[in-house]
Amino acid sequence: MTAMVKAEGVHKSFGAVEVLKGIDLQVNTGEVFCLIGPSGSGKSTFLRCINHLEKINAGRLYVDGNLVGYHQKGDKLYELKDSEVALQRRDIGMVFQRFNLFPHMTALDNVVEAPVQVKGVSKAQARERARELLDRVGLADKAGSYPSQLSGGQQQRVAIARALAMDPKLMLFDEPTSALDPELVGDVLDVMRDLAESGMTMVVVTHEMGFAREVGDSLVFMDGGVVVESGDPREVLTNPQHERTQAFLSKVL
Amino acid sequence: MSDKLDKTPAGAPPEDTPPVAKDSAYAGPPEAIKAIPVRHWGRWVSGVVVVALLALLINAFANGDIQWSTVGDKVFDSTVVAGAGRTLLISILAMVLGVVLGILLAVMRLSKNPVTSTVAWLYIWFFRGTPVYVQLLMWFNLALIFPMLNLGPIYKDEMTDVMTPFMCALLGLGLNEAAYMAEICRAGLLAVDEGQTEAAHALGMSHGKTLRRIVIPQAMRVIVPPTGNEFINMLKTSSLVYVVTYNELLRSTSVIGSSSFAVMELLFVASIWYLVMTSIFSVFQYYLERYYARGSSRSLPPTVFQKIRANLFSLSSERGAK
Repeated sequence: MTAMVKAEGVHKSFGAVEVLKGIDLQVNTGEVFCLIGPSGSGKSTFLRCINHLEKINAGRLYVDGNLVGYHQKGDKLYELKDSEVALQRRDIGMVFQRFNLFPHMTALDNVVEAPVQVKGVSKAQARERARELLDRVGLADKAGSYPSQLSGGQQQRVAIARALAMDPKLMLFDEPTSALDPELVGDVLDVMRDLAESGMTMVVVTHEMGFAREVGDSLVFMDGGVVVESGDPREVLTNPQHERTQAFLSKVL
Repeated sequence: MSDKLDKTPAGAPPEDTPPVAKDSAYAGPPEAIKAIPVRHWGRWVSGVVVVALLALLINAFANGDIQWSTVGDKVFDSTVVAGAGRTLLISILAMVLGVVLGILLAVMRLSKNPVTSTVAWLYIWFFRGTPVYVQLLMWFNLALIFPMLNLGPIYKDEMTDVMTPFMCALLGLGLNEAAYMAEICRAGLLAVDEGQTEAAHALGMSHGKTLRRIVIPQAMRVIVPPTGNEFINMLKTSSLVYVVTYNELLRSTSVIGSSSFAVMELLFVASIWYLVMTSIFSVFQYYLERYYARGSSRSLPPTVFQKIRANLFSLSSERGAK
Protein backbone atom coordinates (compact mmCIF):
# COMPACT_ATOMS: atom_id res chain seq x y z
CA MET A 1 0.00 0.00 0.00
CA THR A 2 1.37 3.38 -0.96
CA ALA A 3 0.98 6.40 1.26
CA MET A 4 -0.80 9.42 -0.24
CA VAL A 5 -0.34 11.48 2.91
CA LYS A 6 2.30 10.81 5.51
CA ALA A 7 2.69 12.90 8.67
CA GLU A 8 5.70 12.54 10.96
CA GLY A 9 5.62 14.45 14.22
CA VAL A 10 3.69 17.40 12.79
CA HIS A 11 3.56 20.40 15.13
CA LYS A 12 1.66 23.63 14.60
CA SER A 13 1.39 26.65 16.91
CA PHE A 14 -0.56 29.85 16.56
CA GLY A 15 1.51 32.22 18.66
CA ALA A 16 1.83 30.62 22.08
CA VAL A 17 -1.01 28.16 21.50
CA GLU A 18 0.18 24.78 20.37
CA VAL A 19 -2.62 23.34 18.24
CA LEU A 20 -0.93 20.22 16.88
CA LYS A 21 1.41 18.42 19.25
CA GLY A 22 3.08 15.85 17.07
CA ILE A 23 0.78 14.07 14.64
CA ASP A 24 1.91 10.81 13.07
CA LEU A 25 -0.41 9.19 10.59
CA GLN A 26 -0.63 7.73 7.14
CA VAL A 27 -3.38 7.96 4.53
CA ASN A 28 -3.18 5.23 1.91
CA THR A 29 -3.93 5.79 -1.74
CA GLY A 30 -7.57 5.17 -2.56
CA GLU A 31 -8.85 5.17 0.99
CA VAL A 32 -11.38 7.35 2.76
CA PHE A 33 -9.73 8.66 5.87
CA CYS A 34 -11.98 10.24 8.48
CA LEU A 35 -10.81 12.65 11.15
CA ILE A 36 -13.14 13.14 14.11
CA GLY A 37 -12.84 14.91 17.40
CA PRO A 38 -14.19 17.77 19.48
CA SER A 39 -13.87 21.32 18.17
CA GLY A 40 -10.46 22.79 18.91
CA SER A 41 -8.83 19.38 18.70
CA GLY A 42 -6.74 20.48 15.71
CA LYS A 43 -8.33 18.29 13.05
CA SER A 44 -9.19 21.18 10.70
CA THR A 45 -5.77 22.73 11.25
CA PHE A 46 -4.12 19.45 10.33
CA LEU A 47 -6.22 19.26 7.17
CA ARG A 48 -5.16 22.79 6.20
CA CYS A 49 -1.52 21.87 6.75
CA ILE A 50 -1.82 19.13 4.12
CA ASN A 51 -2.18 21.72 1.33
CA HIS A 52 0.01 24.26 3.07
CA LEU A 53 -2.73 26.76 3.90
CA GLU A 54 -1.04 26.58 7.31
CA LYS A 55 2.72 26.28 7.73
CA ILE A 56 3.85 23.56 10.10
CA ASN A 57 6.40 24.41 12.80
CA ALA A 58 8.03 21.03 13.19
CA GLY A 59 7.92 17.55 11.75
CA ARG A 60 7.49 16.42 8.17
CA LEU A 61 4.42 16.18 5.98
CA TYR A 62 4.47 14.34 2.67
CA VAL A 63 1.83 14.19 -0.05
CA ASP A 64 2.42 11.51 -2.67
CA GLY A 65 6.02 11.27 -1.56
CA ASN A 66 6.75 15.01 -1.84
CA LEU A 67 7.48 17.21 1.15
CA VAL A 68 4.70 19.81 1.55
CA GLY A 69 5.90 23.42 1.34
CA TYR A 70 9.60 22.60 1.46
CA HIS A 71 12.29 21.05 -0.56
CA GLN A 72 15.03 18.99 1.02
CA LYS A 73 18.62 18.97 -0.16
CA GLY A 74 20.95 16.96 2.02
CA ASP A 75 19.84 17.73 5.54
CA LYS A 76 18.84 21.32 4.73
CA LEU A 77 15.27 22.43 4.15
CA TYR A 78 14.46 25.14 1.63
CA GLU A 79 11.13 26.96 1.68
CA LEU A 80 9.27 26.62 -1.59
CA LYS A 81 8.45 29.71 -3.65
CA ASP A 82 4.79 30.72 -3.85
CA SER A 83 4.60 29.44 -7.42
CA GLU A 84 5.97 26.05 -6.36
CA VAL A 85 3.47 25.82 -3.50
CA ALA A 86 0.71 26.62 -6.00
CA LEU A 87 2.00 23.81 -8.21
CA GLN A 88 1.72 21.36 -5.29
CA ARG A 89 -1.81 22.51 -4.50
CA ARG A 90 -3.05 21.81 -8.02
CA ASP A 91 -3.21 18.10 -7.22
CA ILE A 92 -5.02 18.55 -3.91
CA GLY A 93 -8.70 19.45 -3.99
CA MET A 94 -10.24 21.12 -0.98
CA VAL A 95 -13.84 21.53 0.10
CA PHE A 96 -14.55 24.07 2.82
CA GLN A 97 -17.11 24.17 5.59
CA ARG A 98 -18.42 27.51 4.29
CA PHE A 99 -18.26 26.46 0.59
CA ASN A 100 -16.25 29.57 -0.43
CA LEU A 101 -17.70 29.59 -3.93
CA PHE A 102 -16.79 32.68 -5.95
CA PRO A 103 -20.00 34.73 -5.62
CA HIS A 104 -19.42 36.85 -8.73
CA MET A 105 -19.37 33.83 -11.02
CA THR A 106 -22.06 31.38 -12.07
CA ALA A 107 -21.84 27.77 -10.92
CA LEU A 108 -20.38 26.82 -14.30
CA ASP A 109 -17.78 29.60 -14.23
CA ASN A 110 -16.77 28.58 -10.71
CA VAL A 111 -15.92 25.12 -12.03
CA VAL A 112 -14.29 26.45 -15.21
CA GLU A 113 -12.11 29.07 -13.51
CA ALA A 114 -9.18 27.05 -12.17
CA PRO A 115 -8.59 24.69 -15.13
CA VAL A 116 -8.52 27.68 -17.50
CA GLN A 117 -6.50 30.03 -15.29
CA VAL A 118 -4.13 27.53 -13.71
CA LYS A 119 -3.76 24.68 -16.19
CA GLY A 120 -4.35 26.67 -19.36
CA VAL A 121 -7.12 24.35 -20.56
CA SER A 122 -9.15 25.86 -23.42
CA LYS A 123 -12.42 27.49 -22.38
CA ALA A 124 -14.57 25.24 -24.55
CA GLN A 125 -12.94 22.11 -23.18
CA ALA A 126 -13.18 23.33 -19.59
CA ARG A 127 -16.88 24.16 -20.05
CA GLU A 128 -17.64 20.74 -21.42
CA ARG A 129 -15.86 19.08 -18.50
CA ALA A 130 -17.56 21.45 -16.03
CA ARG A 131 -20.97 20.45 -17.37
CA GLU A 132 -20.06 16.80 -16.92
CA LEU A 133 -18.97 17.45 -13.34
CA LEU A 134 -22.08 19.47 -12.50
CA ASP A 135 -24.12 16.64 -13.93
CA ARG A 136 -22.18 14.20 -11.77
CA VAL A 137 -23.09 16.15 -8.60
CA GLY A 138 -26.69 16.40 -9.80
CA LEU A 139 -26.72 20.09 -10.69
CA ALA A 140 -26.68 20.08 -14.48
CA ASP A 141 -29.66 22.44 -14.53
CA LYS A 142 -28.01 24.98 -12.18
CA ALA A 143 -25.01 25.77 -14.38
CA GLY A 144 -26.14 29.35 -14.98
CA SER A 145 -27.10 30.14 -11.38
CA TYR A 146 -25.05 32.36 -9.11
CA PRO A 147 -24.08 30.89 -5.70
CA SER A 148 -26.52 33.24 -3.92
CA GLN A 149 -29.35 31.61 -5.87
CA LEU A 150 -28.41 28.11 -4.69
CA SER A 151 -29.16 26.35 -1.41
CA GLY A 152 -26.29 25.45 0.91
CA GLY A 153 -26.31 21.83 -0.21
CA GLN A 154 -26.25 22.84 -3.86
CA GLN A 155 -23.41 25.28 -3.21
CA GLN A 156 -21.36 22.58 -1.50
CA ARG A 157 -21.91 20.22 -4.41
CA VAL A 158 -20.74 22.93 -6.84
CA ALA A 159 -17.68 23.37 -4.59
CA ILE A 160 -16.96 19.64 -4.89
CA ALA A 161 -17.30 19.85 -8.67
CA ARG A 162 -14.98 22.87 -8.67
CA ALA A 163 -12.31 20.92 -6.78
CA LEU A 164 -12.72 17.88 -9.03
CA ALA A 165 -12.23 20.00 -12.15
CA MET A 166 -8.50 20.13 -11.37
CA ASP A 167 -8.34 16.30 -11.47
CA PRO A 168 -6.82 16.07 -7.99
CA LYS A 169 -5.24 12.90 -6.67
CA LEU A 170 -6.33 13.79 -3.15
CA MET A 171 -9.47 15.48 -1.85
CA LEU A 172 -9.64 17.25 1.51
CA PHE A 173 -13.04 17.86 3.11
CA ASP A 174 -13.19 20.32 5.99
CA GLU A 175 -16.49 19.61 7.77
CA PRO A 176 -18.34 19.76 4.44
CA THR A 177 -21.79 19.30 5.95
CA SER A 178 -21.51 21.30 9.17
CA ALA A 179 -22.99 24.50 7.71
CA LEU A 180 -25.94 22.74 6.09
CA ASP A 181 -29.56 22.29 7.08
CA PRO A 182 -30.06 18.68 8.21
CA GLU A 183 -32.25 17.81 5.23
CA LEU A 184 -29.54 18.95 2.78
CA VAL A 185 -26.72 16.93 4.34
CA GLY A 186 -27.76 13.72 2.58
CA ASP A 187 -27.28 15.11 -0.94
CA VAL A 188 -23.71 16.16 -0.21
CA LEU A 189 -22.87 12.87 1.50
CA ASP A 190 -24.26 10.99 -1.51
CA VAL A 191 -21.88 12.84 -3.80
CA MET A 192 -18.99 12.08 -1.45
CA ARG A 193 -19.99 8.42 -1.31
CA ASP A 194 -19.95 8.27 -5.13
CA LEU A 195 -16.54 9.88 -5.14
CA ALA A 196 -15.24 7.34 -2.62
CA GLU A 197 -16.54 4.48 -4.76
CA SER A 198 -14.70 5.88 -7.77
CA GLY A 199 -11.46 5.29 -5.84
CA MET A 200 -10.60 8.88 -4.86
CA THR A 201 -8.29 9.30 -1.89
CA MET A 202 -10.20 11.42 0.60
CA VAL A 203 -9.37 12.95 3.97
CA VAL A 204 -12.61 13.97 5.63
CA VAL A 205 -12.96 16.02 8.80
CA THR A 206 -16.51 15.30 9.85
CA HIS A 207 -19.10 15.02 12.55
CA GLU A 208 -21.15 12.59 10.45
CA MET A 209 -20.44 9.35 12.31
CA GLY A 210 -22.83 7.47 10.02
CA PHE A 211 -20.80 8.47 6.99
CA ALA A 212 -17.53 7.57 8.70
CA ARG A 213 -18.84 4.13 9.64
CA GLU A 214 -20.34 3.39 6.26
CA VAL A 215 -17.81 4.87 3.83
CA GLY A 216 -14.62 5.33 5.85
CA ASP A 217 -11.67 2.98 5.52
CA SER A 218 -9.71 4.43 8.43
CA LEU A 219 -10.64 6.71 11.26
CA VAL A 220 -8.64 8.86 13.60
CA PHE A 221 -9.94 10.43 16.79
CA MET A 222 -8.04 13.57 17.72
CA ASP A 223 -8.19 15.56 20.93
CA GLY A 224 -5.99 18.32 22.27
CA GLY A 225 -3.70 18.27 19.25
CA VAL A 226 -2.79 14.59 19.40
CA VAL A 227 -4.10 11.41 17.83
CA VAL A 228 -5.89 9.59 20.65
CA GLU A 229 -7.13 6.54 18.82
CA SER A 230 -7.12 5.21 15.28
CA GLY A 231 -8.19 2.19 13.35
CA ASP A 232 -11.11 0.74 11.42
CA PRO A 233 -14.07 3.13 11.74
CA ARG A 234 -16.59 0.42 12.59
CA GLU A 235 -14.37 -0.88 15.33
CA VAL A 236 -13.41 2.48 16.82
CA LEU A 237 -16.97 3.78 16.74
CA THR A 238 -18.59 0.70 18.25
CA ASN A 239 -15.85 -0.33 20.62
CA PRO A 240 -13.66 2.64 21.54
CA GLN A 241 -10.67 1.71 23.68
CA HIS A 242 -9.67 5.07 25.02
CA GLU A 243 -11.63 6.81 27.71
CA ARG A 244 -11.64 10.19 25.89
CA THR A 245 -12.95 8.55 22.73
CA GLN A 246 -15.69 6.89 24.76
CA ALA A 247 -16.65 10.20 26.33
CA PHE A 248 -16.76 11.99 22.98
CA LEU A 249 -18.73 9.27 21.23
CA SER A 250 -21.23 9.00 24.05
CA LYS A 251 -22.07 12.67 23.45
CA VAL A 252 -22.34 12.63 19.65
CA LEU A 253 -23.81 9.22 18.89
CA MET B 1 -61.88 43.14 -4.49
CA SER B 2 -64.65 42.62 -1.97
CA ASP B 3 -67.24 42.66 -4.76
CA LYS B 4 -65.48 39.83 -6.48
CA LEU B 5 -65.49 37.78 -3.29
CA ASP B 6 -69.21 38.18 -2.79
CA LYS B 7 -69.96 36.93 -6.27
CA THR B 8 -68.05 33.66 -5.74
CA PRO B 9 -70.56 30.93 -4.88
CA ALA B 10 -70.02 29.37 -1.45
CA GLY B 11 -68.06 26.10 -1.48
CA ALA B 12 -66.62 26.63 -4.96
CA PRO B 13 -63.16 28.20 -4.64
CA PRO B 14 -62.14 30.68 -7.34
CA GLU B 15 -60.30 29.06 -10.23
CA ASP B 16 -57.01 30.80 -9.61
CA THR B 17 -56.64 29.53 -6.04
CA PRO B 18 -53.64 27.22 -5.68
CA PRO B 19 -54.42 23.50 -5.32
CA VAL B 20 -53.33 23.41 -1.66
CA ALA B 21 -56.35 25.50 -0.84
CA LYS B 22 -58.64 22.49 -1.17
CA ASP B 23 -56.80 20.38 1.39
CA SER B 24 -56.33 23.04 4.03
CA ALA B 25 -59.88 24.41 3.76
CA TYR B 26 -58.40 27.74 2.64
CA ALA B 27 -61.35 30.07 2.00
CA GLY B 28 -59.58 32.57 -0.23
CA PRO B 29 -58.14 35.90 0.81
CA PRO B 30 -59.96 37.45 3.79
CA GLU B 31 -61.90 40.67 3.44
CA ALA B 32 -59.52 43.62 3.39
CA ILE B 33 -59.59 45.94 6.44
CA LYS B 34 -61.35 49.21 5.77
CA ALA B 35 -60.08 51.71 8.32
CA ILE B 36 -59.81 55.46 8.32
CA PRO B 37 -56.12 56.20 7.71
CA VAL B 38 -54.09 58.31 10.14
CA ARG B 39 -54.14 61.93 8.97
CA HIS B 40 -50.65 63.31 8.59
CA TRP B 41 -51.34 66.99 9.25
CA GLY B 42 -47.65 67.69 9.74
CA ARG B 43 -46.89 66.68 6.16
CA TRP B 44 -49.49 69.06 4.79
CA VAL B 45 -48.31 71.95 6.94
CA SER B 46 -44.64 71.41 6.12
CA GLY B 47 -45.51 71.07 2.43
CA VAL B 48 -47.28 74.42 2.42
CA VAL B 49 -44.38 76.09 4.32
CA VAL B 50 -41.81 74.73 1.88
CA VAL B 51 -43.81 75.83 -1.17
CA ALA B 52 -44.19 79.31 0.31
CA LEU B 53 -40.47 79.62 1.02
CA LEU B 54 -39.65 78.38 -2.46
CA ALA B 55 -41.97 80.99 -3.96
CA LEU B 56 -40.22 83.72 -1.95
CA LEU B 57 -36.82 82.53 -3.14
CA ILE B 58 -37.91 82.43 -6.80
CA ASN B 59 -39.43 85.88 -6.41
CA ALA B 60 -36.18 87.24 -4.97
CA PHE B 61 -34.11 85.90 -7.85
CA ALA B 62 -36.67 87.04 -10.44
CA ASN B 63 -36.57 90.59 -9.08
CA GLY B 64 -32.79 90.63 -8.49
CA ASP B 65 -30.48 92.56 -10.76
CA ILE B 66 -29.75 89.54 -12.91
CA GLN B 67 -29.64 89.54 -16.69
CA TRP B 68 -31.15 86.13 -17.33
CA SER B 69 -30.70 86.59 -21.04
CA THR B 70 -26.92 86.69 -20.54
CA VAL B 71 -27.11 83.34 -18.74
CA GLY B 72 -29.02 81.86 -21.67
CA ASP B 73 -26.66 83.38 -24.24
CA LYS B 74 -23.47 82.27 -22.58
CA VAL B 75 -24.43 78.67 -21.69
CA PHE B 76 -23.44 77.48 -25.14
CA ASP B 77 -20.73 80.07 -25.75
CA SER B 78 -17.84 78.29 -27.45
CA THR B 79 -15.34 79.36 -24.74
CA VAL B 80 -17.61 78.04 -22.02
CA VAL B 81 -18.26 74.76 -23.81
CA ALA B 82 -14.52 74.32 -24.38
CA GLY B 83 -13.94 75.07 -20.68
CA ALA B 84 -16.52 72.46 -19.67
CA GLY B 85 -14.80 70.01 -22.02
CA ARG B 86 -11.46 70.66 -20.34
CA THR B 87 -13.01 70.25 -16.89
CA LEU B 88 -14.38 66.88 -17.98
CA LEU B 89 -11.06 65.89 -19.58
CA ILE B 90 -8.88 66.81 -16.61
CA SER B 91 -11.33 65.20 -14.17
CA ILE B 92 -11.42 61.93 -16.09
CA LEU B 93 -7.65 61.79 -16.63
CA ALA B 94 -6.87 62.70 -13.02
CA MET B 95 -9.40 60.10 -11.85
CA VAL B 96 -7.89 57.40 -14.07
CA LEU B 97 -4.45 58.25 -12.72
CA GLY B 98 -5.87 58.23 -9.20
CA VAL B 99 -7.63 54.87 -9.56
CA VAL B 100 -4.69 53.07 -11.18
CA LEU B 101 -2.18 54.45 -8.71
CA GLY B 102 -4.67 53.96 -5.87
CA ILE B 103 -5.13 50.24 -6.57
CA LEU B 104 -1.36 49.87 -6.81
CA LEU B 105 -0.84 51.70 -3.51
CA ALA B 106 -3.57 49.66 -1.82
CA VAL B 107 -1.97 46.39 -2.92
CA MET B 108 1.43 47.76 -1.83
CA ARG B 109 0.09 48.70 1.59
CA LEU B 110 -1.39 45.24 2.09
CA SER B 111 1.78 43.57 0.86
CA LYS B 112 3.87 41.47 3.22
CA ASN B 113 6.97 43.25 1.96
CA PRO B 114 7.77 45.93 4.59
CA VAL B 115 9.51 48.18 2.03
CA THR B 116 6.54 48.48 -0.32
CA SER B 117 4.02 48.87 2.49
CA THR B 118 6.08 51.64 4.10
CA VAL B 119 6.49 53.45 0.78
CA ALA B 120 2.72 53.31 0.24
CA TRP B 121 2.10 54.51 3.79
CA LEU B 122 4.45 57.48 3.34
CA TYR B 123 2.83 58.42 0.02
CA ILE B 124 -0.65 58.38 1.51
CA TRP B 125 0.57 60.24 4.59
CA PHE B 126 1.97 63.12 2.51
CA PHE B 127 -0.64 63.45 -0.23
CA ARG B 128 -3.59 63.07 2.10
CA GLY B 129 -2.04 65.25 4.76
CA THR B 130 -1.56 68.39 2.69
CA PRO B 131 -4.27 70.42 0.92
CA VAL B 132 -4.69 69.75 -2.79
CA TYR B 133 -4.53 73.50 -3.35
CA VAL B 134 -1.03 73.62 -1.84
CA GLN B 135 0.02 70.62 -3.92
CA LEU B 136 -1.20 72.33 -7.11
CA LEU B 137 0.80 75.44 -6.25
CA MET B 138 3.87 73.30 -5.59
CA TRP B 139 3.68 71.64 -9.01
CA PHE B 140 3.11 75.05 -10.58
CA ASN B 141 6.18 76.54 -8.90
CA LEU B 142 8.43 73.51 -9.19
CA ALA B 143 10.65 75.39 -11.66
CA LEU B 144 11.70 77.73 -8.84
CA ILE B 145 13.73 75.01 -7.18
CA PHE B 146 14.40 72.69 -10.14
CA PRO B 147 14.87 74.86 -13.25
CA MET B 148 15.83 71.80 -15.28
CA LEU B 149 14.14 68.41 -15.33
CA ASN B 150 17.06 66.05 -15.72
CA LEU B 151 16.32 62.31 -15.83
CA GLY B 152 19.83 61.40 -16.89
CA PRO B 153 20.08 59.98 -20.38
CA ILE B 154 16.32 59.45 -20.73
CA TYR B 155 15.02 62.98 -20.65
CA LYS B 156 16.21 66.53 -20.12
CA ASP B 157 14.22 69.73 -20.53
CA GLU B 158 13.36 73.06 -18.95
CA MET B 159 10.96 72.52 -16.06
CA THR B 160 8.67 75.30 -17.29
CA ASP B 161 8.27 73.44 -20.59
CA VAL B 162 7.35 70.22 -18.82
CA MET B 163 5.06 71.72 -16.20
CA THR B 164 2.43 73.13 -18.49
CA PRO B 165 -0.84 74.13 -16.82
CA PHE B 166 -2.28 70.83 -18.01
CA MET B 167 0.52 68.79 -16.43
CA CYS B 168 0.29 70.73 -13.16
CA ALA B 169 -3.43 70.11 -13.05
CA LEU B 170 -3.13 66.42 -13.93
CA LEU B 171 -0.35 65.69 -11.43
CA GLY B 172 -1.83 67.86 -8.70
CA LEU B 173 -5.30 66.35 -8.89
CA GLY B 174 -4.29 62.81 -9.89
CA LEU B 175 -1.59 62.20 -7.30
CA ASN B 176 -3.76 63.63 -4.54
CA GLU B 177 -6.68 61.49 -5.63
CA ALA B 178 -4.48 58.38 -5.62
CA ALA B 179 -3.96 58.75 -1.87
CA TYR B 180 -7.71 58.76 -1.25
CA MET B 181 -8.37 55.99 -3.76
CA ALA B 182 -5.70 53.88 -2.09
CA GLU B 183 -7.63 53.94 1.17
CA ILE B 184 -10.93 53.21 -0.60
CA CYS B 185 -9.37 50.29 -2.49
CA ARG B 186 -7.71 48.96 0.64
CA ALA B 187 -11.07 48.93 2.42
CA GLY B 188 -12.55 47.12 -0.59
CA LEU B 189 -9.82 44.49 -0.67
CA LEU B 190 -10.12 43.90 3.07
CA ALA B 191 -13.90 43.51 2.77
CA VAL B 192 -13.52 40.36 0.65
CA ASP B 193 -13.81 37.24 2.80
CA GLU B 194 -10.50 35.50 3.45
CA GLY B 195 -12.10 32.21 2.48
CA GLN B 196 -12.14 33.44 -1.11
CA THR B 197 -8.36 33.78 -1.18
CA GLU B 198 -7.99 30.40 0.51
CA ALA B 199 -10.30 28.73 -1.99
CA ALA B 200 -8.39 30.24 -4.90
CA HIS B 201 -5.04 29.24 -3.41
CA ALA B 202 -6.33 25.74 -2.73
CA LEU B 203 -7.13 25.46 -6.45
CA GLY B 204 -3.50 26.30 -7.22
CA MET B 205 -4.04 29.91 -8.32
CA SER B 206 -1.11 32.28 -7.86
CA HIS B 207 -1.28 35.44 -5.70
CA GLY B 208 -1.58 37.67 -8.76
CA LYS B 209 -4.33 35.64 -10.40
CA THR B 210 -6.21 35.34 -7.11
CA LEU B 211 -6.11 39.11 -6.74
CA ARG B 212 -7.09 39.83 -10.34
CA ARG B 213 -9.70 37.15 -10.92
CA ILE B 214 -11.22 36.61 -7.47
CA VAL B 215 -10.52 39.41 -4.98
CA ILE B 216 -10.61 42.62 -7.04
CA PRO B 217 -13.89 41.83 -8.86
CA GLN B 218 -15.55 41.32 -5.47
CA ALA B 219 -13.85 44.33 -3.94
CA MET B 220 -15.26 46.47 -6.76
CA ARG B 221 -18.74 46.23 -5.22
CA VAL B 222 -17.37 48.04 -2.18
CA ILE B 223 -15.03 50.31 -4.16
CA VAL B 224 -17.40 51.62 -6.86
CA PRO B 225 -19.89 53.66 -4.80
CA PRO B 226 -17.27 55.78 -2.97
CA THR B 227 -15.29 56.08 -6.22
CA GLY B 228 -18.34 57.58 -7.91
CA ASN B 229 -18.52 59.98 -5.03
CA GLU B 230 -14.84 60.78 -5.51
CA PHE B 231 -15.39 61.44 -9.21
CA ILE B 232 -18.24 63.85 -8.54
CA ASN B 233 -15.98 65.53 -6.02
CA MET B 234 -13.21 65.62 -8.61
CA LEU B 235 -15.46 67.35 -11.17
CA LYS B 236 -15.89 70.16 -8.66
CA THR B 237 -12.39 70.13 -7.12
CA SER B 238 -11.02 70.54 -10.64
CA SER B 239 -12.16 74.17 -10.38
CA LEU B 240 -9.12 74.66 -8.13
CA VAL B 241 -6.79 74.24 -11.08
CA TYR B 242 -7.87 77.79 -11.91
CA VAL B 243 -4.77 78.65 -9.86
CA VAL B 244 -2.36 76.88 -12.23
CA THR B 245 -3.89 78.86 -15.14
CA TYR B 246 -5.48 75.81 -16.75
CA ASN B 247 -8.48 77.03 -18.74
CA GLU B 248 -11.18 74.83 -17.30
CA LEU B 249 -14.85 75.69 -16.83
CA LEU B 250 -14.55 78.12 -13.91
CA ARG B 251 -11.61 79.97 -15.40
CA SER B 252 -13.21 80.36 -18.83
CA THR B 253 -16.52 81.55 -17.36
CA SER B 254 -14.93 84.03 -14.96
CA VAL B 255 -12.78 85.51 -17.73
CA ILE B 256 -15.98 86.30 -19.65
CA GLY B 257 -17.72 87.35 -16.45
CA SER B 258 -15.20 89.97 -15.43
CA SER B 259 -14.78 91.37 -18.95
CA SER B 260 -18.52 91.67 -19.56
CA PHE B 261 -19.44 92.78 -16.01
CA ALA B 262 -21.72 89.77 -15.59
CA VAL B 263 -19.93 87.99 -12.75
CA MET B 264 -22.95 86.33 -11.15
CA GLU B 265 -24.52 85.42 -14.49
CA LEU B 266 -21.39 83.55 -15.56
CA LEU B 267 -21.16 81.82 -12.19
CA PHE B 268 -24.70 80.59 -12.84
CA VAL B 269 -23.54 79.34 -16.24
CA ALA B 270 -20.67 77.46 -14.59
CA SER B 271 -23.05 75.97 -11.99
CA ILE B 272 -25.43 74.79 -14.70
CA TRP B 273 -22.59 72.93 -16.42
CA TYR B 274 -21.33 71.43 -13.17
CA LEU B 275 -24.85 70.24 -12.33
CA VAL B 276 -25.35 68.74 -15.78
CA MET B 277 -22.06 66.86 -15.62
CA THR B 278 -22.59 65.51 -12.09
CA SER B 279 -26.18 64.48 -12.92
CA ILE B 280 -25.17 62.58 -16.04
CA PHE B 281 -22.45 60.83 -14.12
CA SER B 282 -24.82 59.83 -11.32
CA VAL B 283 -26.91 57.86 -13.82
CA PHE B 284 -23.79 56.22 -15.22
CA GLN B 285 -22.68 55.30 -11.70
CA TYR B 286 -26.00 53.57 -11.02
CA TYR B 287 -25.43 51.21 -13.95
CA LEU B 288 -21.83 50.58 -12.92
CA GLU B 289 -22.94 49.59 -9.43
CA ARG B 290 -25.60 47.37 -10.91
CA TYR B 291 -22.96 45.58 -13.00
CA TYR B 292 -20.77 44.82 -9.98
CA ALA B 293 -23.78 43.78 -7.88
CA ARG B 294 -24.28 40.66 -10.01
CA GLY B 295 -24.03 37.53 -7.93
CA SER B 296 -24.20 39.36 -4.61
CA SER B 297 -27.98 39.57 -4.50
CA ARG B 298 -30.49 37.12 -5.86
CA SER B 299 -31.82 39.48 -8.49
CA LEU B 300 -30.29 42.60 -10.01
CA PRO B 301 -31.82 45.95 -9.05
CA PRO B 302 -33.99 47.32 -11.86
CA THR B 303 -32.57 49.75 -14.40
CA VAL B 304 -33.91 53.30 -14.39
CA PHE B 305 -36.21 52.51 -17.31
CA GLN B 306 -37.50 49.34 -15.67
CA LYS B 307 -38.23 51.38 -12.54
CA ILE B 308 -40.13 54.03 -14.48
CA ARG B 309 -42.08 51.41 -16.36
CA ALA B 310 -42.94 49.57 -13.14
CA ASN B 311 -44.11 52.82 -11.56
CA LEU B 312 -46.26 53.67 -14.56
CA PHE B 313 -47.85 50.23 -14.55
CA SER B 314 -48.55 50.30 -10.84
CA LEU B 315 -50.18 53.71 -11.22
CA SER B 316 -52.36 52.62 -14.10
CA SER B 317 -53.38 49.37 -12.43
CA GLU B 318 -54.36 51.26 -9.30
CA ARG B 319 -56.44 53.58 -11.38
CA GLY B 320 -57.96 50.58 -13.11
CA ALA B 321 -58.97 49.10 -9.76
CA LYS B 322 -60.88 52.19 -8.86
